Amino acid sequence: MKTVTSCLPAAVLMLSLLAGCSPKHLVILVPDPDLKVGKAEVTTAGGTQLLEKPGDMTTVSSGSSPPSPVIQADPAFIAATFADALAIEPLPSATFILYFPTGSTNLTPESASRIADILDAVLRRPAISVRISGHCDAVGSYQLNDRLARDRAWAIRNLLVQKGVNPDIITVTSHGKGNPLVPTVDGVAEPRNRRVEVIVR
Amino acid sequence: MKSLGTGLLLLLFASSPAIALPPDSIGHIQTLKGTASIQRGDRNLRPSVGAAVFCGDLVRTGKDGAMGIVLTDDTTLSLGPDSRLVLKEYAFDPKEGKFALVARLFKGTFVYLSGLIGKLAPSSIRMEIPDATIAVRGTKLLISVGE
Repeated sequence: MKTVTSCLPAAVLMLSLLAGCSPKHLVILVPDPDLKVGKAEVTTAGGTQLLEKPGDMTTVSSGSSPPSPVIQADPAFIAATFADALAIEPLPSATFILYFPTGSTNLTPESASRIADILDAVLRRPAISVRISGHCDAVGSYQLNDRLARDRAWAIRNLLVQKGVNPDIITVTSHGKGNPLVPTVDGVAEPRNRRVEVIVR
Repeated sequence: MKSLGTGLLLLLFASSPAIALPPDSIGHIQTLKGTASIQRGDRNLRPSVGAAVFCGDLVRTGKDGAMGIVLTDDTTLSLGPDSRLVLKEYAFDPKEGKFALVARLFKGTFVYLSGLIGKLAPSSIRMEIPDATIAVRGTKLLISVGE
């Protein structure tokens, strides 16, 4: 069951609090660092509530009753309730995308020049995690692509270690052709998918 | 920065608090404040920044505690004081097309920010709270769970 979204004033929530159906839990949808807003569905045995706009909030008072109608969360309430959890939130990662010619584990010249930026990011943070994932386009077999994606990722890993990055903080994975930057049908050559992503935390 | 000698780079990297991340870990602790603990099987561990987290870990923060966890797909889960969660299910294997992220939030305040699983397989993400489940379709949520 989906309840129609309504914008009840905060006073109504206060009244319901006074009336004794006190909410135990609450869920608020907020914009992400890129100011994008997703969606969330909160479901109890009594029903479902959809959050879809920034600041949308629903409360849950029991497992048997439906989540409350959606209201707009008061920014001051958010700041007070979530101050510590928001203050401890990890900073956004620094992400770098490096590109390769077809079938090759050597970087394109433009991407080779970005290695210095990665080292800079590792040093500045100071990084405690560097995740390297290898990717390829949809040309070739699953096995061939997995190996190529892995070899690309390891080539970058070895390069960073050679430049002084602590190998203990590096993890290397192959996504094969399973996580394309630009989705294509199988068999299509797409330079933007022949890449290694480096996420510095 | 780029002009620093390699020797200095090595020295600086060596002083970072990280420990080697085991291959089966699902993420690590990025930020930490006050008291916190991780229960892994029958062991009770004191967490540190850079330490690995595993599927099944019961993570707690004390009354003065707070913690930020980063999972391998770049999802972040932050806990305010007096909070408790279990990382119940996790799979991040784009090559095989396997994805799952299920956390049970028992109590406290939480900030969820979606990572790559949210982009590649949003329907595989679920937060469970005592009286309800939250199907997360991205990207950032604040969740408060009472006793």
